[in-house]
Amino acid sequence: MKNPFARYLLQKLVWYILAFFVAVSLNFILPRLIPGNPVAVIVNQMATGGVQSDTLERLYSTYMKEFGLDKPLYVQYFNYLRNILHLNLGTSFMLYPGKVKDLIGRALPWTIGLQVPAILSGWILGNLLGAFSAYKGGKFDSVAFTLSLVFSNIPYYCLAIVFLYLLAVRFGIFPVGGGYSFGTVPTLSWRFITDAIHHYILPYLSMVLVAIGGQAIGMREMSIYELTSDYVNYAKNLGIRDERIIRYVFKNAMLPQITGLAISFGTMMGGALVTESVFSYPGVGSLLFTAIRQSDYPLIQGCTLIITVAVLTANFLVEIAYGFIDPRIRAVQLGER
Amino acid sequence: MSKVKKFIVSLISLLLVTILVGSVSFAQAPLQLPRKETLYIAGMQWGPPTSFNPMAPAPAWPTNRGQHYLIYETLFVYNLLTGKLDPLIGESFNWSVYTLTVKLRKGAKWQDGTPLTAKDVVYTLELGKKYSLYFSSFWNFITDVKAKDDLTVVMTLNKDNPNKKRVEVFLGQIFIVPQHIWSKIDTSQKALLEYTNTEPVGSGPYKLLAYSPEQIVLQRDDNYWGIPYYGKPAPKYVVHPIFKSNDAGNLAFERGEVDFSQQFCPEIWKMWEVKKLPVGTWYKKEPYHIPASIPSLYINIHKKPLNNPLVRRALAYAINYPKIAETAMSRYSPAAKSSLIIPVGVPEKKYFSQEDVDKYGWKYDPQKAIEILEKQLKAKKGPDGIYVLPDGTRLGPFTAECPYGWTDWMTSLEVVAESARAVGIDIRTQYPDAPVWTDHRNTGNFDLLMNTPAGGYTPAHPWLRFFEVMEIKGVPPIGQVAYWNFNRYSNKKASSLLAGAAKITDEKKLYAIYRELDRIFMKDIPIIPLEYRPWHFYEYNETYWTGFPNEDNPLASPLHTAQGIKIFYIIKPKE
Repeated sequence: MKNPFARYLLQKLVWYILAFFVAVSLNFILPRLIPGNPVAVIVNQMATGGVQSDTLERLYSTYMKEFGLDKPLYVQYFNYLRNILHLNLGTSFMLYPGKVKDLIGRALPWTIGLQVPAILSGWILGNLLGAFSAYKGGKFDSVAFTLSLVFSNIPYYCLAIVFLYLLAVRFGIFPVGGGYSFGTVPTLSWRFITDAIHHYILPYLSMVLVAIGGQAIGMREMSIYELTSDYVNYAKNLGIRDERIIRYVFKNAMLPQITGLAISFGTMMGGALVTESVFSYPGVGSLLFTAIRQSDYPLIQGCTLIITVAVLTANFLVEIAYGFIDPRIRAVQLGER
Repeated sequence: MSKVKKFIVSLISLLLVTILVGSVSFAQAPLQLPRKETLYIAGMQWGPPTSFNPMAPAPAWPTNRGQHYLIYETLFVYNLLTGKLDPLIGESFNWSVYTLTVKLRKGAKWQDGTPLTAKDVVYTLELGKKYSLYFSSFWNFITDVKAKDDLTVVMTLNKDNPNKKRVEVFLGQIFIVPQHIWSKIDTSQKALLEYTNTEPVGSGPYKLLAYSPEQIVLQRDDNYWGIPYYGKPAPKYVVHPIFKSNDAGNLAFERGEVDFSQQFCPEIWKMWEVKKLPVGTWYKKEPYHIPASIPSLYINIHKKPLNNPLVRRALAYAINYPKIAETAMSRYSPAAKSSLIIPVGVPEKKYFSQEDVDKYGWKYDPQKAIEILEKQLKAKKGPDGIYVLPDGTRLGPFTAECPYGWTDWMTSLEVVAESARAVGIDIRTQYPDAPVWTDHRNTGNFDLLMNTPAGGYTPAHPWLRFFEVMEIKGVPPIGQVAYWNFNRYSNKKASSLLAGAAKITDEKKLYAIYRELDRIFMKDIPIIPLEYRPWHFYEYNETYWTGFPNEDNPLASPLHTAQGIKIFYIIKPKE
């Protein structure tokens, strides 16, 4: 291959396909390592519904067969791989005959709707705050820096629980959970939108504050490093206005932050798990959590597959994008030392 | 140039708004239900609804077993107050020696207008013979079902296994489905299980109006065939919001947003005694609900030293039953007695003998437990406060387990462990996830394990409970999967008494047999009853709907299934 960039791309692609294969295999194996049999649980639930015990035995073997769990593990594995290649995520055990595709499809908009604004606004505000406090220094910096340090080091689920307790349970300003009130039906009415926003604020805040803190610290350090560099001193001596200097600094300090952004998008689904559980938010995280508790293999696999694909794609895009953003890296990629 | 820029910006924002609108309005058309005509129910549905197929393993409310018979109906409905089966699609049933004749109601029809006949009944029952379905064991007891005419079904009892009680369970449990619709679906087991049936056609008084992961909405069918017999149910709409947690549902119930709930709601009496809310349960005083099942401690009777009935007896005396009723069951249970018969509330209480319990049974008495340990077993207390048998076997540590998150059971086991340790028996609690607990239970791989024998309530109780605790026939050995008698208790006398009782309808003879079975149970102690639990929690908030039945107004069973559907006809909107 003549084009060095195409060769680089191909090389990376092969690596990512390998990584995907390993991850997909883990997605198959790990749920099956959870002790206990999902079919036994389903049959047991039917017993609580009053189904007589002598029927249960028959139902057990029937469901084992229908779910394909009576086959040896390697056969199940190849069936699983074949289904993935056909983009078939299978049928949930617990919500049988619900399709995994539909269940995830319904949950995904909630997760994306919760995470994307939180990640984006956290990233933008955090970077602005970081750059500004690095430039400004003094009291503003020490207050902003301390606060950022505090928020970025609180695990986001702790913050979520504290918010939930104080603002929802104790003072009742916000609802305790859910995506919207149960009496309403999702429609494009003013009432529904305000209701959904009301439910949105707490989960959003619990994530965005942590994100702002983390981004601000990173950006502040990068900016301080840039601020002491020669080109800034030179620009200052030339008498260039502050805003313009900040813009230069911002642009240069931005590079590592872009990686951070891409990775946060990639890990979005997995990161949502605890926040969604705390606020009973109807997203992929809640779905995955219940699926794990009930050993619902197809549903676990479906959720983890989405996470895998998201993380790998985000990483891949970052590697490609880097080449375009930073000429130094492009040089390495193309083998020009 | 700036105009072009503005145009592009507005174009992009328009695009974004369209995407947003598209993703929000994915569910349904606007739906505003008048509160005064809508009954809100909680506690029967937790996950998102994926099917309304009564043949599927876990269909959504109200098409699952043991839920309100609002879309699909059964032949008869079990009345918890009288212990009898009341008419629904069926008008009456009659036993001769080996045949059962069921007469259907005249004029019964499906929601699409097609008449419901004996052929639909025969078709439905035979589905259970053709495939493995929730009622397939019906065919263990019945050999043949025939439609004599449009309104008469004749069933022939299996002469090798004559068990009228268990057949009667099925009369109140099998949802009859329309042959003209299901015969198109019934091509294979898989096709039948995978059918989502999102537009169910039943014979009941309600039709499915809408559903989403957040709620299920039913609308009254004003052409319901049963109106001449049963009248018209009061609510025009019935909604089951799907809560993410018990707390969310209980909060909505307390606020009057939910009218009728089946959720476990701790200390509910405070809602009317302290908060003065229009909330009620069946009884105004303890135990508030009608006890109908016995969550118990299963003991591994094959493992040393628990294989010694005296050790089990000492443990039975050690457990603080009043404390379990008070803390774990939130006073919704009287203190458990040493009997497999429930002594209060349900029709089976007539078989309970306090005399036998006093003579052969046990109660919370730690002194007596110590006496058994020291005098009868000659055990000596070790330096750690735990007894050791003369052969050197220490009484513990035994593991007591129940699923994680079943908080009432977890509290019960904590009381068991605490009171056993106070006497000198070492018990430690363990709370695995439900799949692990199920596995341990079914394979008999446990020391002590909490479980309810024959949960729910049927016309075959208390026979079924004795059967599930004491019958070894059909139970595979330890290590294989069993579905009842998890600790593999075996007693020939008990087996023959059970077989005898299955054939008898004479009350006096039954009483004698149950007493004898109960005495064997109290002697051998395969399980220890810990508490009582209602079949359903029956809780109503009369902010919008009044006239719910209760102890003073016993017009219908306090159930969210079976004869409890009569509640829908009795309640009235509040003026």
